[in-house]
Amino acid sequence: MSISLKRIQAIFIKDYKEFTRNYAISIMVLFPIVFALLYRGNESAEMGTYGFLYNFTFAMLTSFIQACLIAEEKERNTLRSMMMTPASTWDVLIGKSALVFVISSAVLAVVTYLLGSEPANIGAFLIANILSIILYSALGTICGLFSKTLLEASLSVFPVLILFTGAPFGLLLVDDVPLLKVLDYMPSSQFIELLDVMQTTSAIGEVAKPLLIMLAWTIVLTVVSVVMYQKRLKDE
Amino acid sequence: MDVIKVTHVQKRFGSKDALADVSFSIPKGEIFGFLGPSGSGKTTLIKILTAQLNTTNGQATVLNQPAGMMHHSAQKMRFGILTDNSGLYERLTIEENLELYRQLYDLPKASIDRVLQFVNLSGERKKRFSVLSKGMRQRAILACAIIHEPELLFLDEPTSALDPVNAAHIYKGLRYLNEKGTTIFLTTHNMAEAELLCHRVAILYQGSIKAIGSPKELKRQYRDNQVRIELTNGEIHELPQGEETADRIADWMKRGFIDRIETKEPSLGDIFIKMTGSELL
Repeated sequence: MSISLKRIQAIFIKDYKEFTRNYAISIMVLFPIVFALLYRGNESAEMGTYGFLYNFTFAMLTSFIQACLIAEEKERNTLRSMMMTPASTWDVLIGKSALVFVISSAVLAVVTYLLGSEPANIGAFLIANILSIILYSALGTICGLFSKTLLEASLSVFPVLILFTGAPFGLLLVDDVPLLKVLDYMPSSQFIELLDVMQTTSAIGEVAKPLLIMLAWTIVLTVVSVVMYQKRLKDE
Repeated sequence: MDVIKVTHVQKRFGSKDALADVSFSIPKGEIFGFLGPSGSGKTTLIKILTAQLNTTNGQATVLNQPAGMMHHSAQKMRFGILTDNSGLYERLTIEENLELYRQLYDLPKASIDRVLQFVNLSGERKKRFSVLSKGMRQRAILACAIIHEPELLFLDEPTSALDPVNAAHIYKGLRYLNEKGTTIFLTTHNMAEAELLCHRVAILYQGSIKAIGSPKELKRQYRDNQVRIELTNGEIHELPQGEETADRIADWMKRGFIDRIETKEPSLGDIFIKMTGSELL
């Protein structure tokens, strides 16, 4: 496994320049902030509402932007050209995820500030956010690699949005449809559970389960995205 | 030393052979042309040689390594590739695109100025890629492919859809690059381009090599041994070489009748048609 920080930085800077000149995609950073402003100071808002806003940000910002960045490179054949340079699989994937990581982190920090959220266990909260950004970036990469065009990629994110952001709502129907209990293992459900747990305790034992489930999702989706990328290196 | 060695390579997609049984080698410093119509297997071979495809049978080595190893970073430093669907970033300027490639290849800053001069785009360096003409785009893509001065350059239809002026710019650059030691593997269906640039060519048809050699050798091999004579009165005679023709020419010469005399040499296009019975489209 070869990783070059110089190459990762070069890809990051290139993506940053492209992103700031692509208003159709860069405008997406405003949506979570606008939602946070709407919910700000709302006394009746519960932790579940905040959790929804975070999950919405992961899907609509992290996954969406990542999918669009990858799909646009595919559509314009720049991804294949980059694959022919000495940049390794890891250089390209980390470089291309780095911009989304930085943007998502900044937007989530603003959202957290606007909501006035003060988690009891700040360490667990940060780890949950970092894991979520990585796993939703990997989801975006998978959507982008599956899509042939930018349009396809932007549409492919909607199932992700519905499945992942909607999972905690599906759990409300679990009494009628017991099968929906499986949605409890979705990372979005675990994120909300973590926020709930942290309202009452900061004990590591209590926050470990949601974090471990999210870690498992992160590992699986990252491996799938790397394998898919390496398959794209070949035209078989 | 052979830079590329291909031995009995076969590539099958489903039940169809894209390459049937292809063997050839390319020594260092050569410009080698792979000629054939669309769908004859030219791009498939470039993909095999650059590790984008595996062979079904046979072996291919590139720069003394199995072709399948060409996806390693150290090997990718040694070759450059330009295909007809290579792309650059539309929202970035030519200079910004080259800056990315400079950093990916870990080159000094001066390499950008050098390569821009080489492709004659120094004056356009601040222009966004999206506003460039087709010819300028192709030259900018070529600049990215050669910024690291590769030992081996793969060119897949480099001048397709370019006007003659822009194509001439590219030819000039390629010759210069070759003089500096770069081996060039060129695929084209443009016979004139191959004749102009290549030291040797291989003619590929339906996945097999039908002929291989220098353009001069191939022309000699496939010429029809006739002499074409234009007389001062406008008559044109095409006669077989031999004693009888020599006598007639000598007679016309004595009488000052000959305006022009030449051997009738086939073009590479004529040779292709002769061998395959097919037009080169």
